[in-house]
Amino acid sequence: MRVKSYVPLLKLAPILAWFAALFLITKDPVRFFIDLASFYSFYLMLSISLNLEYGCTGIPNFGKVMFFAGGAFVTGALTARLIAPLAGVSGMFLAHYKLYNVIVGTQVSAFFSHRVDVAMATFVLMLVLAAAVGAALGWAASYPAIRLREDYLAMTLIVTGELLRIIARNYDPLICGTIGVSVPDPFYWLSGLPHDLLRTSIMLAIAFSTWALVDALAKSPFGRMIRAIRENELAAESFGKDVIKVRMKVLMVGSAIAGVAGALYAFYSGTVQADDFMPIKTFVVWVMVILGGAGNNKGAALGALTYLALDRTIVLLKGYVSAPFDINNLSYVALGVALILVLMYKPEGLIPEKPFISGTSRRRSRTSDQENP
Amino acid sequence: MKTMLTFEVFLDSLIFSNLITLMAIGLTLTYLTLKIPNFAHGDMATVGAYVVLTISRTFSLNPYLSFPLAFLTAGALSLLSYLLVYRPLSRRNANIVVLMVASIALEIIIRSSLHVYADIMSSVQKTYYRGLTYYAIKGFKEEPLRLGPHKVPVVTLTSTLTAIGITVALYLFLTRTKFGIAMRASIENPNLASTLGINVNKVYAASWFIAGGLAGLSGAFLPFRIPTSPELGWELLLKTFAASTLGGLESIFGAVIGGYAIGFAEIMGISMLSSPPFNLSTSYRPAIPIVVLIATLLIVPKGLTSIDVGKLVRRRGKSEG
Repeated sequence: MRVKSYVPLLKLAPILAWFAALFLITKDPVRFFIDLASFYSFYLMLSISLNLEYGCTGIPNFGKVMFFAGGAFVTGALTARLIAPLAGVSGMFLAHYKLYNVIVGTQVSAFFSHRVDVAMATFVLMLVLAAAVGAALGWAASYPAIRLREDYLAMTLIVTGELLRIIARNYDPLICGTIGVSVPDPFYWLSGLPHDLLRTSIMLAIAFSTWALVDALAKSPFGRMIRAIRENELAAESFGKDVIKVRMKVLMVGSAIAGVAGALYAFYSGTVQADDFMPIKTFVVWVMVILGGAGNNKGAALGALTYLALDRTIVLLKGYVSAPFDINNLSYVALGVALILVLMYKPEGLIPEKPFISGTSRRRSRTSDQENP
Repeated sequence: MKTMLTFEVFLDSLIFSNLITLMAIGLTLTYLTLKIPNFAHGDMATVGAYVVLTISRTFSLNPYLSFPLAFLTAGALSLLSYLLVYRPLSRRNANIVVLMVASIALEIIIRSSLHVYADIMSSVQKTYYRGLTYYAIKGFKEEPLRLGPHKVPVVTLTSTLTAIGITVALYLFLTRTKFGIAMRASIENPNLASTLGINVNKVYAASWFIAGGLAGLSGAFLPFRIPTSPELGWELLLKTFAASTLGGLESIFGAVIGGYAIGFAEIMGISMLSSPPFNLSTSYRPAIPIVVLIATLLIVPKGLTSIDVGKLVRRRGKSEG
């Protein structure tokens, strides 16, 4: 029993060894580590939330990128504009925001450097707003198709994600259209290594608390209900569960998490570009969840780490190897092949889902064992 | 106001609708066999476009000469994807979400491979393999036909004839030939069909080949109008989804209706919306089919072919009487 609980750790070993190797060949190990940890925090949130939707409930969310984008867009659109009047930015810059958004962003960042309280309040406010926007998008995007079969839902979500991107690219007041918008840095009051360390640890802390939250949710009675819906929708319905409402709720929770991840991504990269949110991002999250093992948060976390190992390797390789084509495309081919092979030969993933037995039912089964030896 | 719906806009809509229709017929065929939307269907069109483009470019041939090859290559690719991926997965009782994920994976594989192909070819042949139309090919010229005061591009005629020809041929094939009737039987009830001695596997494989081939054929027409890029098929797929869903996803003739409805809605719609009084940017064009798709799902989720016109007429008659 004890040995079994170490199995996931053993599976982690090759990836950690891989990271150690990458760590050794990189030119700037500190930068490499901070990048890795920051990217892990977004990807962890995305894969955990998709696991809640697909792994636990069986909802094919092929529009994950839309909710991620929603969080990033609201952060990009509002952060600088909200604080600009406080920071005393000239109204002329705000009136021509598309032209001067970088100046506004820099001035607001400068304002943040001596008002830590405002900076942190803005950061928290934006995360909350991003979650709200994510949840609202989750409701709106699933509304037309959630009552229909999974394939309609999958198509609608993928297509609506593209619609959001098209609007963001063409509707200038949102995130300045094709130019993209600059996002002020709420940690500007620190600089150098402490700045990066603090920002990354806050991001990781948020990501890991999301994991804990989703874990708790999956083990709650609600978690058992969504698994029941995944296994047999009709049976769950005949027990009086409102399947459509529950699926919508799950999609809203998952999308809120993705929205927060999007806000963190916007703050981390300092800019939001509409074309950064292509459907391929959704695909990458699916690879993580299926590779790691759907229905199991540990699997989703491991899948995210595995994907990141590949991704960082490609980034490093680009610096060393020159090919007549973009290596990224080759890595997408590899990911696609890997995904199909996993689906065929190891559909349960690296860490299979374990049946969860709650405390009360375990006690009950133990007493019934004693009664009928 | 007169500039909104000119004859040119009509011709543009016609070509575009022909292509969407060919794609939608193929998508519906694959949907009928496995009951999943094939996300890799759009890339079969890109493959078709690149086959013709490569051959015409390398040997300075007229593009039409390699159209059959586009059909065959895309059909073979589609058949392979069925035999190597979808059939093994569905034999393992994979659910529909798993099949959809697999089709997205295939989509990514084909699209990314085409990117690699385009990069390599442009460095080998020292020309561009992106953003190219057939008219950029040396030695290829096409005089537009004259129809009174209007110029009609030849491709309008060829694509319309192809779309009509394919629809008629498919109709005859499905209703008049033994294999076509076997195909319909296998789609309707695979168990019963195999009991009656129909080789369901063979029939499904054939429909995947035809579906991929039709996508390849419609892709081969694309570089007449749109600059080629490996992303082309994916962009077209989202419109094709809208067309197939509007047609009811399960009816080939619904796909034809859906294809023309979406094609005309997109081109005529944007030329109306981009002129006064709306003055919208034309880059909103891809949003039109998406809006139609969402509206379809909200109002008639089973598609246009699910509407029982006779019943509607009868009900109205009763309420009047």
